[in-house]
Amino acid sequence: MEKLGISYQAILPETILSLVAIVIMMIDAFARRIERKVAGVISLIGLLAAGAALLSLWGKNGETSYSGMIVTDNFRLFFGLIFIIVAILILLISLRWVEDENLPKGEYFALLLFATTGMLFMSAANDLVMIFLGLEITSIATYVLCGYRRNDLRSNESAVKYFILGSYSTAFLLYGIAMLYGASYKATATPVATTNLMLLKERIATGQIYSYEMLFAGAALMLVGFGFKIAAAPFHVWSPDVYEGAPTPITALLSTGSKASAFAAFARVFVLTFAVAPVAMNASGVLANFQTTITNTLIVMAILTMTLGNFVAMVQTNIKRMLAYSSIAHAGYALVGLAAGDWSSVAFYMLGYVVINIGAFAIIEVIARRGDKRTEISDYAGIGFKSPGLAAALSLFLLSLAGIPLTAGFMSKLLVFKSAWAAGTNNKFFYYLVVIGVINSAVSWYYYLRVIVAMYFSESTVEFKAPVISRSLATGLIIAILGTLYLGVLPGNILNALERARDSIAMKK
Amino acid sequence: MESYLLTIITVLPLVGAVALLIIGRGAHPNENNLKWTALFFSLATFVLSIAIPLGFRATGGLQFDANKEWISAFQLGVRYHVAVDGLSLWLVLLTTFIVPVALIASWNSIHSRLREYLVCILALETGMIGVFIAQDMFLFYLFWEVMLVPMYLLIGVWGGERRIYAAIKFVIYTVVGSLLMLAGIIALYYMHGGATGNFTFDIAAITSDLKSGSFVLTLAQQRWLFWAFALAFLIKVPLFPFHTWLPDAHVEAPTAGSVILAGVLLKMGTYGLMRFNLPMFPEASHAYATLICTLAVIGIIYGALVAMVQPDMKKLVAYSSVSHLGFVVLGIFSFTEQGMQGALYQMLNHGVSTGALFILVGMVYDRRHTRMIAEYGGLANVMPVYSALFLVVTLSSIALPLLNGFVGEFLILVGTFTSQALPYAKLFATFASLGMILSAVYMLWMYQRVIYGEVTNPENKRLTDINGRERLVLAPLIILIFVMGIYPTYFLARSSHAINVIKNFVNPSSFANTQNQSHQVAQTGDSVGQQEKSGE
Repeated sequence: MEKLGISYQAILPETILSLVAIVIMMIDAFARRIERKVAGVISLIGLLAAGAALLSLWGKNGETSYSGMIVTDNFRLFFGLIFIIVAILILLISLRWVEDENLPKGEYFALLLFATTGMLFMSAANDLVMIFLGLEITSIATYVLCGYRRNDLRSNESAVKYFILGSYSTAFLLYGIAMLYGASYKATATPVATTNLMLLKERIATGQIYSYEMLFAGAALMLVGFGFKIAAAPFHVWSPDVYEGAPTPITALLSTGSKASAFAAFARVFVLTFAVAPVAMNASGVLANFQTTITNTLIVMAILTMTLGNFVAMVQTNIKRMLAYSSIAHAGYALVGLAAGDWSSVAFYMLGYVVINIGAFAIIEVIARRGDKRTEISDYAGIGFKSPGLAAALSLFLLSLAGIPLTAGFMSKLLVFKSAWAAGTNNKFFYYLVVIGVINSAVSWYYYLRVIVAMYFSESTVEFKAPVISRSLATGLIIAILGTLYLGVLPGNILNALERARDSIAMKK
Repeated sequence: MESYLLTIITVLPLVGAVALLIIGRGAHPNENNLKWTALFFSLATFVLSIAIPLGFRATGGLQFDANKEWISAFQLGVRYHVAVDGLSLWLVLLTTFIVPVALIASWNSIHSRLREYLVCILALETGMIGVFIAQDMFLFYLFWEVMLVPMYLLIGVWGGERRIYAAIKFVIYTVVGSLLMLAGIIALYYMHGGATGNFTFDIAAITSDLKSGSFVLTLAQQRWLFWAFALAFLIKVPLFPFHTWLPDAHVEAPTAGSVILAGVLLKMGTYGLMRFNLPMFPEASHAYATLICTLAVIGIIYGALVAMVQPDMKKLVAYSSVSHLGFVVLGIFSFTEQGMQGALYQMLNHGVSTGALFILVGMVYDRRHTRMIAEYGGLANVMPVYSALFLVVTLSSIALPLLNGFVGEFLILVGTFTSQALPYAKLFATFASLGMILSAVYMLWMYQRVIYGEVTNPENKRLTDINGRERLVLAPLIILIFVMGIYPTYFLARSSHAINVIKNFVNPSSFANTQNQSHQVAQTGDSVGQQEKSGE
């Protein structure tokens, strides 16, 4: 790490997004009044440019830059593209919404872009400090966005809760980073201790660890920090309240982008650095012990998260709250893939999940109308035949979340369960994990169907007029629908790319 | 040689559904246009499907193959592989036949949301055909699950009073079973891939590797996999005690829904048993045959007894399905050629006869809006043609010789009685025969109360006999009842090859002394299990 390794290309996507965000804030400050469309279009162009910049990095297999802070590999690019997709979809579904709600537009788009920048840094990080920085950039932007409807008490509550609990959990993460730094101490090496993930990986793999106790403690503390961000049980309690109170497009952002970015960092640290993978049960040695402990912890966490999310979701009456618990459950499914040590299945799961979930929230946003008023499931009674397009699209998204074949939800579940089953040859618990996972999926049908029951089988109790759908939102919805179907019917190209990405990273070991 | 016939047959109803969505736009689409469009597409599907038995070689295996790579990444090896063999041939035809019949039968009974109703039925048809022709486990599972949605909507939107309860019960029961099957599919895929290096979901490839011995499942593995698959199928059949969703779903579903449910959907369960469980897990099938046959016989008698006391005609027919499907399961697990041929034949019979019964009940329901037996009586006086046709169907259902039901039930009973592989086979056959007697009791008693006697209820005096459309619906069913009863050879000859293949899979020649063999396998299986335990 003698070289500084400055490479502007390596951080081009992040640079573009931050610059565009700053430009939007400047226009907002100096121009008399910023047009929604101008800010929106500028943000969109910025996002597309960042996406193109990400694509231009394809094929750089693990180059590091900035003293090893940033790494460019296909892991980063794949997750980066997921974040860009999230940001574009959120932008499309909220373009009109900001206008209707009379909210300040400039800051909204700028914050959205900052949040995306943070996410991109999290997937690009090759250093624990960098992960922390990315996490904070995202978190601070989303804390503000949660309370964006400042005249609404629910929105305020959501922001305060998220902020307090979020800061608390970040402290755990930071403490864990410190522990790991200490654990990596080695007097004869340069540097003597490190937060660099590649060096950490090397030292863990070769057993050059100052103290395994500190390694365990550090990993456990980081598990808490990441567990909070992905809303995994038992660190999930914040999410239903925050999701319910936050403005709907922001709920969509929290449950998709912020969750996916936390998974990216989670996988980067636990799968790619600690090399947590199911090791054979009879393997001995302190390293195998460490990996087995973490794997088993992740298995327990996955079971708790799936089961709790699904069972509590069944009794919810508010659709945003229900989707919050469903989002917890989905974090549990993705954890199955993570516990199996297969980041590629997690990445595909997140890709599918963000597309479906943003689609579902887009519809909830339209039905809820101004001020997020109608979010009870009973508000959906009888809309199936009054607003057939919206109801059919929502049904598609909900069924896809439940995991019906031919949609993204099924393919992603299949992939994580498949990798878990493959892991079962080393660790028998994975067989049980798969069975518990499929039983959970069956349970989840019940609450997803409840919404469909309300939409198609019940008569409306309150007057319902088909809402007006703006062109931008319609575009977002169509992208989400096509994406859900594309990932379900013809996932071949993406899976091939993902497989190559996984193999190229595995080769470097 | 690739054939696109099956693909066309599968996709055609879906094309019809899309066409309906397009022409049905606007506030008040012309109802007749919608109905005729739907009927056109389902009839076209039927006509095309007639080409299958005509071009079918009775001694061949999978025919009309289409096999294309679909998803290859991550060793998934998913292929679009469709084909028919003797097992699926007639079930595909049953499907394409029942759907237009169901459409005509409910021609005037649905007025609200007609377009969506027709779309659901056509989408359902695609799913059902797909299940029977899929030769890839992934594809099979896909059709199996996707089909749930239209059926769910059919019950939930156009059903009776307790439709929401019935619809949710139907879905949850099915999904619990099918997701366990998914776990089984993944497990089987991995075990097979690990043993042979060929990661594939192809059913034929896996069964033939099992047969040739290049892929061996221990008895312990077979037991787990057997139940992962069997649970999904037995719930669908439905075997006692998993049957409770069926009466609810049948009673609440609209007539066409009941016809399709009884006619085709239930057969997917028994089809699955014959396609997966018997050939793939033969030792486990033998090990559990006694248990499953016991449940089947309980189902036969229990279903018949409960049917006897039903005041509601539709519920009576629903419980009679539990009884009839018990026969099918019994036939399958007799492991004899007659038994399995009879089971397959009984699936077709049940589809035709029970479909016809639901249609007949629907006809008087459309007139009187009640299905209570006590509300009727003496219909022979006012509806003579209806009564005559009803009699034929009733007799077919209770298996009168020369009608279709007889052939199936006779073969099943003979097969069970002579079965070497099934323990207590004679006992099972005896009790099952009791079920046949009971079926005569409840069907004839119902017929007597509804049709014979004087017209006691004044409202029944004004009933009109069935009209031309209704005769048109029943005619093909009645003809089939006779044809299948008098000339079963045409059907059985085409299925016998496939049945023999299954029989050879499930009763390998090395398996001659079943008891000994399974005992040995059980021992080795146990020792493997112990090794695994000690490994932990």
